[in-house]
Amino acid sequence: MMDQPSILIIDENHARAAIIQDGLREAGHANVRWLSETGNLLKQIAKIDPDVIVIDLESPNRDVLEQMFQVSRLVKRPVAMFVDQSDSASIREAMMAGVSAYVVDGLRKDRVKHILDMCVQRFDVFSRLTEELHEAKTALADRKVIERAKGILMEAKSLNEQEAYVLMRKTAMDQKRRLIEVARAIVLAESMLK
Amino acid sequence: MTSSIRVGFIPLIDAAIPIAARECGFAEREGLQIELVRETSWANIRDKLIHGLFDASHMLAPLAVATSLGIGNAKVPLSVPFGLNANGNCITLAARLYRALEEVLGHAPRDPRQSAQALKRVIDRRKANGDPPITFGVVFPFSVHAIIVRHWLRLGGIDPHNDVQFQVVPPPFMVARLSEGEIEGCCVGEPWNSRAVESGVGSIVVFGSEISRCAPDKVLALRNETVVENPESIHRLLRTYQLAARWCQDSSNHANLANMLAQPEYLNVAPKTVLNALSGSLAVNRTEARSASDFLVFQGDGINWPDPRKARWLYAEIASGLRRPLDEGQAQAAAAVFRPDVFDAATGNNALPEAQDPIGLHFGPAFDASDLKAYVDALARG
Repeated sequence: MMDQPSILIIDENHARAAIIQDGLREAGHANVRWLSETGNLLKQIAKIDPDVIVIDLESPNRDVLEQMFQVSRLVKRPVAMFVDQSDSASIREAMMAGVSAYVVDGLRKDRVKHILDMCVQRFDVFSRLTEELHEAKTALADRKVIERAKGILMEAKSLNEQEAYVLMRKTAMDQKRRLIEVARAIVLAESMLK
Repeated sequence: MTSSIRVGFIPLIDAAIPIAARECGFAEREGLQIELVRETSWANIRDKLIHGLFDASHMLAPLAVATSLGIGNAKVPLSVPFGLNANGNCITLAARLYRALEEVLGHAPRDPRQSAQALKRVIDRRKANGDPPITFGVVFPFSVHAIIVRHWLRLGGIDPHNDVQFQVVPPPFMVARLSEGEIEGCCVGEPWNSRAVESGVGSIVVFGSEISRCAPDKVLALRNETVVENPESIHRLLRTYQLAARWCQDSSNHANLANMLAQPEYLNVAPKTVLNALSGSLAVNRTEARSASDFLVFQGDGINWPDPRKARWLYAEIASGLRRPLDEGQAQAAAAVFRPDVFDAATGNNALPEAQDPIGLHFGPAFDASDLKAYVDALARG
């Protein structure tokens, strides 16, 4: 266990941090810690003394970490950004996923690469989950608007549910607009005429 | 033919030129499409620029020089063909420290020399008591903000290397860190100083414009190969920025500019906050306001022209800040980052800068770009 690198995750998003931690543990990295409180960040890092730091790109705290390259008083060992700057493809991939990592000099490159790949993967998983959740929420909201528009048509034109729906769909096709747009227009018009 | 350029920016008032270039249609007129991408850190801005996710960036002037020289966390030579602004930052002290200065003086500090001298007495007293040193928050290790604080401290006879500490604090966290006591002073752009004043957390003691007249703050940075590979697009971008700079500097446009910058996709703050900084009129503490016509400048005084002497000054300040010996090779590499050739080719400019002194420091040693050693030695003497 001596050569298990200690990994520090800095992420204010609890859900994402949990997903990354799980991923790293499943991959056999037992020595993973997580910081969400970023006051006195450099002092906290100095105390934990990690081999690898993983931080999300949404966090303005990346600029705090930049200080590690100058201030050797606070952080014991020199730190270099992963990976070596010539490996632009890896860096681009990580940045597009929204994560960056810093690594202590001397840690074997292939091991670090493995850790970063895992983090990139987990960031992607999290983004996908967030996107799916967003889509599900939007779909639910759209359905509510369509139901409401249907109700308005049914009442105003004495239609049954099926007829109201057919009318909306026909209007949408004729106007080359999406059903949800027609539904929104009906709801808006009704609120203005009330 | 329309070409498209992806520009990274940090939501700050000094991102006005790229934002106005897009919003006012200046880019469209040049047949250029500007896509603006908001970022959260200067480290992201730098990394996304050097790895090709951005074509161009709003960048801290010293960061462009440091990155080109390989000082800090990356080494990629960059080109700076346009200066975006001078000034716009303030030094703010936490309420308790500000009160200590008032007690020393018997009144509120009236100018930078007075406040720095009062601070010196507070620091001496704290040292005698064995209290911990004062920590200043700055936005990045390589920033005009850090340079301004060092100049101000020296004005009071304070050694910026031994008497105080510096800590990088991202602007959105500045007020909280002041309030928690992690830092006792900071140098940051607006609206963060005003936030500290409004919430009673701190008081503004110095406007950056009181330290220097035209030190480069933010610049347009590009990868060198972009300049070589897409000269036409870059020329269009520079002409666009020049139009935008003129528009931003004209105070009759400030109400419009404030509304534009305040929008959610840009700064996402109240228009009034932006307007205060544009007009240079700020509440500095609970009872007083102060104004300066050059609080934040977008054009004039050679600000847009990328004067290589400014790059040499930035290098001298970076080296002095790190207490590294000067290296003429590095100074030349720094000078080569600023690209008046590209600016002139794009805009048809053929005038050389009028200013004898490209920085316009109001205090401290005179800056002569041909003798960096004399300047840095004078800084070290305090």
